[in-house]
Amino acid sequence: MTAPDFWEVLNRAINTGAQTPVRDFDMKIFHEASRLVKDHDIKYDPEVYVPNDDSLADDVWSAGIELFLELGMYCMSSKRVIRFEESEVKDALKEVSDSVEIGEGSEKRTVTRRGIGSKKPPIIVGGVIESDFPEGETFIKLYQSIAEDPLIDGLYVGPPLHTSEGHTVRMGTPLALHLGRRMASWAREAIRRAGRPGLHFVSACPSAIADIAACNPEDGVRKSDGLFISVTAELKTDYEALGKTAYALDYGCIRATHGGSIVGGWAGGPEGAAVVSIADFIASVMVYQHNLDPVYGDHGLTRCPGPVPISSVNPGMWGTELTGQAIARNYRGLNGRFFLTAAGPGTEMQFREVAALCIASLASGRDLFCGGGIRRYKVKPMLGSALENRFHAELGHAATGIKRDDANELVKAIVQKYEKKVTKDGGPWGYTFDEMYDLKTLTPRQRFIELYDKMKDEMKDLGLEFRY
Amino acid sequence: MTKEEEILQKLSDAVLNFDSDAAIDAAKASVEAKISPVKAIEEGLAKGLRVVGDRFEAGELWLPHLVLGAEALEAAVKVLEEHMTIEDLESTSRGTVVIGTVEGDIHDLGLRIVASMLRANSFRVYDIGCDAHTLNFIEKAKEVKADIIAASSLMTTTMPFMKDLIEALETAGIRDQYKVMVGGGPVTEEWAKAIGADGYGKDAAEAVRVAKELVKR
Repeated sequence: MTAPDFWEVLNRAINTGAQTPVRDFDMKIFHEASRLVKDHDIKYDPEVYVPNDDSLADDVWSAGIELFLELGMYCMSSKRVIRFEESEVKDALKEVSDSVEIGEGSEKRTVTRRGIGSKKPPIIVGGVIESDFPEGETFIKLYQSIAEDPLIDGLYVGPPLHTSEGHTVRMGTPLALHLGRRMASWAREAIRRAGRPGLHFVSACPSAIADIAACNPEDGVRKSDGLFISVTAELKTDYEALGKTAYALDYGCIRATHGGSIVGGWAGGPEGAAVVSIADFIASVMVYQHNLDPVYGDHGLTRCPGPVPISSVNPGMWGTELTGQAIARNYRGLNGRFFLTAAGPGTEMQFREVAALCIASLASGRDLFCGGGIRRYKVKPMLGSALENRFHAELGHAATGIKRDDANELVKAIVQKYEKKVTKDGGPWGYTFDEMYDLKTLTPRQRFIELYDKMKDEMKDLGLEFRY
Repeated sequence: MTKEEEILQKLSDAVLNFDSDAAIDAAKASVEAKISPVKAIEEGLAKGLRVVGDRFEAGELWLPHLVLGAEALEAAVKVLEEHMTIEDLESTSRGTVVIGTVEGDIHDLGLRIVASMLRANSFRVYDIGCDAHTLNFIEKAKEVKADIIAASSLMTTTMPFMKDLIEALETAGIRDQYKVMVGGGPVTEEWAKAIGADGYGKDAAEAVRVAKELVKR
C-alpha cells in the first residue's frame, strides 16, 4: 500500500507542504484548468441537462486527476500545499470500498454503488439545510416529521442554528460547541419519537469542536452516523476540516465528505468548473481518506456567482451531471448529491426543481441523495418541511432506472417551467414549517397536501410511475 | 486615430487582455507622450476594466479575469502615479474601500469578486483577506483613510462579527467616519438594517451600486 495514511497527509498540511501564497494557488487553478479544458476538448452544451457522452465524462475525469496531481490541495490554516504522487492517488483509488453501512438495528442500510441507469433505488438522506429554526422542540418536530417517512434512510443535520440557549452563536466558540452537542441530541430525540432510534444522521457544523462535541454513543453521533467534512472551493481545506477527519478516524464514525466547484470562480467557466469539480472530489478522496472505511462522498457544482446561481438550471446541471457520470464510471466508491433549489418550500417551483434534480441524478448514477429541497438563499427562518423531503424520496423511487436520454428530455421539460423564475436572489421564498404543517399533529395542512398531489400528478403526466 | 487615442486604446486593451507587461509599456508610452495621467487612467485603463466587469456580469468572463484585469490596471497605475499630484490621485478614485471576510470565515470567493468589481469601478480597494479580525478592519481603514469598510460572511455563525465591527467603530467614537457595507451568502438586507450597516449588496453588481451611492452621501 503506497497511499499515504492520514497522519502523513497531516504532516504535509502542517509541516512539509510547500508554503504558497493563496493568490498564486488560485490563479494556477484557473490557468491549469483552462489548459486542460483545451487539451481534452471539453465543451459545454447549454441545451443539454443530462449528458450522454461516456467519452466526454471520461475526459473530464482524466483532466480532473491531472489537475489534482498538478496542484494538490491548499491548507488555508498553514498556507501549505498538500501534494500527492500519481502512484499514491492510483493506489488510494484502488483501495476505496464500494459499500458502507449506515444506521443501526432495523434502520441499518447498506449503501452500495448504483451506476449509470441502475434500476436500484438510491439511499435517501433527508433534511433541511441552510435555514434557521428555533432551538429545541420545533427543531425536534421538524426532524421527527421527516424521519416518520419510511422512505427516508437517513438525516442531514446542519449547519448550526443561529442561537444556543437563546444567545447568538459564533463559529468556533464554546456556544457553537454546546449547540453542536444539543443539535445532535435533538436529532436523536426526533428519530426516537419517530420510532426509528437507529436511523443514520450526519452532523454538519462548520467548526471541528462543534462536530466533535456532537459525537456521543448515547444521545449524539454514533459510529453508524457521520460527520460532514467539506472541500472549500476550490481545492482548499483547513484545520477545522482536517480536525474533523482526525477525530472521525479516531472515533470510528462515518465521514460524509462534500466538494464541488463554482462556475465563474477560480475554475473559470462551466467546462473548467467540471474539471475542477473532479479535482475537488479527488482531493476529498486523498485528504479525507476515502480509502479508509466508513466513508461516503458527494459532490457537485453547487452554485456560481455569475448570472445563474444554482444547480437546478444550466450550466450547473450540465456540469453536475457530467461530473457525476465521470465519477460513476471511473470511481469504485460511493457518490452522492446535494439538492439545492432556488425556490422555497411549498411552492410549485421547488417541487419542480426537486424533480429535475432527482431525475438527472438518478440517470447519472448517484448512489445517495442528500437533502429534500434546500432553498439556496436564506430569506426568513423555518423554511423547510418534511413535504419536499417526501417528494424527493418518492421521486427517487419513481424515476429509478431512467436512461440518460430520457432523463434529459424530462428534465428539459421540467426546467422550462421554472428557469425564467430564477432570480439573482433565488425564486419565491416559500412557506415556513408552521405555515405548512400543523405542529400538534405533525401533518401537512390541506392546501399543501393538495399542492403535493397536483405536483405528483404533473410528474405522472410526464410519464413517471410512482411506487408509493 | 491620433497618437493619444492610440495609447489610450493600448492601455484599455492591455487590461482587456489581462496583460500587466503591456499595461506597464502603454503607461510608459503615455508618460512619454505627456498624456494626462488622469486621462490615461480614466479613458484607458479604467475603461478596459469596466468592460471586463460588464462581461463578468454577463457570464462571459470569470473571477480570474477580474483579478488579472485589476492587476494589469494596478501595474500601470504604479507607473502613472509617479507623475501625478495628490489632487490627481484623488480625482481618479471614487473612494477608498477596506474589504475582508469576517473572523472565523474562510470563504474568500465572493470577497475577491466584489473587490475586483469595485476596482473595475474606480474604487481604491484594500483587501485584508478572509478570517479578518474586527480590529484589523478598523486599523486598515484608519491607515488608508477609507471611506467604506466592506465585510463579507458566508456562514450564519460568522455573521455576528459584522455587528461587532459596527459596535467597535461606535465604541471608538469613529462610526461616523466610515460607511459600513455587508454582504455574503446568508446575509440579508434585514440583517444589514438590524445591525446598523449603511449598505447591503446581494451580489457584486449591487455592491458596486451601493458603494457608489454611499460615497456620494
